[in-house]
Amino acid sequence: MRRSPAATSASLSWFQLRMLAPLIAVASVAVGLPLVYAFYLSLTDFSLTQRGAAELVGFANYGASLTNEDLWGAIGTTFTYVIIAITLETILGLLIALSLQKQEWARDLTRAMLLAPMFITPIAVGLTFRFLLNDQLGAIPFLLDSVGLNYDFLGSGKALLTLAIIDVWQWTPFMVLLLLAGLESIPKQPLEAARVDGASAFYIFRRITFPLLIPVLSVAVLLRSLDALKVFEYVYATTRGGPGTETETIQYFTYQTGIQFFRLGEASSMAFILLLIVLPIIVFLFRRLDQRASK
Amino acid sequence: MTSRPAGVVRGIFLATALVIVLFPLVWVTLASFKTPQQLNDPSLLFFLPSLDNWRFILDGGILEAAGRSAFVAGVTVGVSAIAGSAAAYVISAYKAGGTLTRFGILAAQVLPPAVLVFPFLTIAYMTRTNDSLIPLIFAHLSFVLPVVTWFLIGFFDSVPRSLEEQARVDGFSRFKAFLLVVLPQVYPGLGAAIIFGFTLSWNDMFYGLILTPTKSAILPVAIAGFNTFRGVELGSMSAAILVAVIPVVIASFFIQKRLVQGISGGAVKY
Amino acid sequence: MRKSLTKMFAIAGTTALLAAGCATGTGVEVESSGVGEVPADTSATVRILMEAVPDTDIVQGLVADFNAEYPNITVEIETLAFDQMRDKLIASFQSSDPTYDLIVADNPWMDDFAPAGFLEPVDDRIANTPGFDHDDFFGPLREIADVDGVTYGVPFYNYALGYLYNEPLLAEAGLGVPTSLDELVTTSKALTMGDQTGLAMQPQRGYKIFEEWANFLFAAGGSIYNEDGSGALDSPEANAALEAYIDLYNNAAPDNSLNWAFDEAFRSVSTGASAAMVSYNWNLPALNSPDAGDLAGDFKLATMPGGKQVLGSWTWAIPSNSAEPDAAWAFVSWITSKEVDVQRVIAGGAAIRESTLQNDSVLAEGFGADYYDAIIAILSDAAPLSEGAGGEEMIQAVGTELSEAVAGTKSVEEALKAANDAINSIQG
Repeated sequence: MRRSPAATSASLSWFQLRMLAPLIAVASVAVGLPLVYAFYLSLTDFSLTQRGAAELVGFANYGASLTNEDLWGAIGTTFTYVIIAITLETILGLLIALSLQKQEWARDLTRAMLLAPMFITPIAVGLTFRFLLNDQLGAIPFLLDSVGLNYDFLGSGKALLTLAIIDVWQWTPFMVLLLLAGLESIPKQPLEAARVDGASAFYIFRRITFPLLIPVLSVAVLLRSLDALKVFEYVYATTRGGPGTETETIQYFTYQTGIQFFRLGEASSMAFILLLIVLPIIVFLFRRLDQRASK
Repeated sequence: MTSRPAGVVRGIFLATALVIVLFPLVWVTLASFKTPQQLNDPSLLFFLPSLDNWRFILDGGILEAAGRSAFVAGVTVGVSAIAGSAAAYVISAYKAGGTLTRFGILAAQVLPPAVLVFPFLTIAYMTRTNDSLIPLIFAHLSFVLPVVTWFLIGFFDSVPRSLEEQARVDGFSRFKAFLLVVLPQVYPGLGAAIIFGFTLSWNDMFYGLILTPTKSAILPVAIAGFNTFRGVELGSMSAAILVAVIPVVIASFFIQKRLVQGISGGAVKY
Repeated sequence: MRKSLTKMFAIAGTTALLAAGCATGTGVEVESSGVGEVPADTSATVRILMEAVPDTDIVQGLVADFNAEYPNITVEIETLAFDQMRDKLIASFQSSDPTYDLIVADNPWMDDFAPAGFLEPVDDRIANTPGFDHDDFFGPLREIADVDGVTYGVPFYNYALGYLYNEPLLAEAGLGVPTSLDELVTTSKALTMGDQTGLAMQPQRGYKIFEEWANFLFAAGGSIYNEDGSGALDSPEANAALEAYIDLYNNAAPDNSLNWAFDEAFRSVSTGASAAMVSYNWNLPALNSPDAGDLAGDFKLATMPGGKQVLGSWTWAIPSNSAEPDAAWAFVSWITSKEVDVQRVIAGGAAIRESTLQNDSVLAEGFGADYYDAIIAILSDAAPLSEGAGGEEMIQAVGTELSEAVAGTKSVEEALKAANDAINSIQG
């Protein structure tokens, strides 16, 4: 049954290709085509209200965008938002997942209900919180008021944090979902062995569970962060980027530039600048993780 | 072994989490039965429920919109699960496709939809598919496929190679080893990926608005439509939110039961 | 494997570039058939994209009457909320294939759409439609539809702002309707007591804050543009107006309302939590309608203090890629005709024709003579927020600076200077 090494390696390559083929085929159309076209647009002076074909202007848009203070402001705002939201979601998500794993009664029901916030389209979440937090009509200020508290949720200095909390409300369930799946996949044997040996719960978590959870955890943080970078609907539903530009996120800014002000070529260049900042960070971080894992 | 105090703390913690999660949802449920006037009163808990909002959205075709959303999400997730699990396996095991594939597919995840939507629209016009749901499915694939693939890479990374090697020794072909031995090990991850992928597609409003004709609007577009000039129609929107949430909660309940909880049958015992 | 990957990306790339090449713009001078009188037996389907506002509902209610005259023209109206409608509209212009046969355009867009070739000029059509009486439309509305001397549309409805107030509350406090900026400030403060606030403001960054504040600017005697089209926001009047606005926000507006837009303010006023708001004139019937709340009927409309207010207007326009321009004109000329406009306004539509507001049946069956008098007064001295191309961008830029000033992150002088610079760089 043993084949020659050459044949094995050839059939292995062929196998890999066949397994990758569906992904490549779909991704070329769904990801590749729009990406290339958007890149082309970023090299033109394309505006949604112009006549005739767009003219190539080389990297002029990139120059304009890189020196645009508002763009950097939006990038900074968005990064702040992402860091706050993801940190909270990861910690809370982990705690909830660990608790759910040990839970014994009404497990399935609790788990299903806890996922509910994820399934509401973000614009509806934004609008719901806009009214829940409204000083005169909302239930939350009403409750706060009954204990004498007053908080300007969407006011200056506080709006971004409030939006991050909304993100936490909606997406911690995602972290729970993923981490729970990760916890359930961890082989039981080493855990049992450690317990039998008398290790404390905390020790087990730190030395066995957590390291085994890292691949799943890092993917969860990555995906959630990429998603949070695109935050738009919460801003749109509540503050429209205000007060001032405090909640002006990248997606909101590019939407305004490209679609409201019609300057789509310029907006495309902004998107690619973002890509050039984010993608290397991701590649770097994951290479590091791979290196650690292989040790 | 769970100790009593730890169990109580855990119970309180979970209960608190549930309250925080459910509070806005309870508010939304109440709101769906309130009249426009009653909505202006935050303290109103007990009132005679009105079915006007529900009748309004049902007449307005919310169920059809939900059906279209489910169709688009279903196709998207189906394609993603198949293409994604196959690819994730070889990327995880053999680093197939190199850095370009693994990180390249994330590119569409990073780019703001505002920038990608017009390319999609142009392609839709050119292929004359702009009157169908096809451009939307491809747009959704642009961000669901990478997500599902990455999920699964992470889970496949946790599966020891020894499993697969043992299966090959036992005479399984590479593909069979993948399908019957390795894949079942990541069922929890696959279940989570399916739920999350479905959610991303189910929730998308932006592509749905631009890429589909208004008469075939998907659910989030219909919900966003309640944000009218005369103000947000909170009652109707709340009812529509419940139409969006409840079926998916029920579906995920069953997916959780089947896939996420533990590994059973078909897998090689570890 | 590398090779096949590279090949696939190359194919994708080339296809995309080809797509890009074929897809852009129309680049054609827009011509109109100029037909004014459309035969009654014309057969067509007219697809219209409209915003989901009360006036659209009224239009939909009149379609049956239209079909009595034009039985073979099917009218299909799509309604969407504002931002979604705008996005879809822009998307529909990108292709030379028709998606909509008739549209409505907001005033800031006219100066961008017309030069882009998206709209059909309608001067000839108007001239060829007997009895149309184009001059009967209110001046500011006609001007909005006019770009560089060519008319690209016909008014649909106006959204000029006014001062909407709770009459009993003002009367109880012994106060009259404010007629100057100072009076507005003192009246609003005087009406702020206990749980009640004097003015439900809408300082949401961007469009809303600019729309509301510009009324204050006019009341202070200022203006947005100078004669030569440059920005006029670096004036003492603008300063006074912004100081007054901030003063009111801090002392007479509901707590924690920095992100409030129309919806919150409207609810605040209709529940009695606030005594007044600055809003569109046709919101008065909405406030007074029986199912609005307990206070229905208590509200009245007045001109803004100082007599000049901000105006917005929607215009019917025929897209250059319309499949049925003649049938579209049949509908437009019918619904904006004198006879039908009377019906429209009685049903609650916002005014566009002077003759309608003086019509006996309107005064008898509509919402009351003083309501229409107030509207005539409002429309006789109203100005839009932006003139010229780049309207949306200019409004957003000014709205951002104003928001900074109210939030306290910029001083009044800094904010106004930045806003003025923005006007000049975007529209200069």
